[in-house]
Amino acid sequence: MGVEIIFKIAAVGILTTVVGQILKQSGKEDIATFSTLAGLIIVLLMVLDLISNLFDKVRNLFGL
Amino acid sequence: MDLIRILGIALVTVFASMLIKPVRPEISLIIGLCGGVLILSQTINYLFQILETFTNLVQRTGVNTGLFKTILKIIGIGYLTEFGADACVDAGNTGIASKIVFAGKVIILAMSLPIITNIIQIIVEILP
Repeated sequence: MGVEIIFKIAAVGILTTVVGQILKQSGKEDIATFSTLAGLIIVLLMVLDLISNLFDKVRNLFGL
Repeated sequence: MDLIRILGIALVTVFASMLIKPVRPEISLIIGLCGGVLILSQTINYLFQILETFTNLVQRTGVNTGLFKTILKIIGIGYLTEFGADACVDAGNTGIASKIVFAGKVIILAMSLPIITNIIQIIVEILP
């Protein structure tokens, strides 16, 4: 629960870019856009549970 | 010490987000958001202790705890509003950030109405 999640997200970002570029070169434009979209969704899912944990803690803490 | 860990996380977040920004700007925004969440979750532990001591103090002094709970809610709302507004400013759309801050103020004002009426009642009783 520290810095490694940031490295994971950065790695997914770079990977999707590389895959997108490769697909673009090989001429499959539409699959490239899908791959970047998939990368974005994976990153969002990773961050989602982090944010929900924080919001739950804040709600319990302040009694919201 | 904790501060050094927080600074470390902040630096790593900034570098990672800068690295990804030219290539994938939306993922760099998410990295910034995630760094902010990590730092906030470090400070939450301190807030737990602070609020524990405050609630004990309030109970011991016998003040009406309802008011203290409202104050706690207002602090929480301020906390979350600032988090959301800064996330929007990071993303670049300051318009939405100012709207979030405005909404936070309105909610805080709405929650503080009972306190205001309380104070006015006390003042009216004091006046001859």
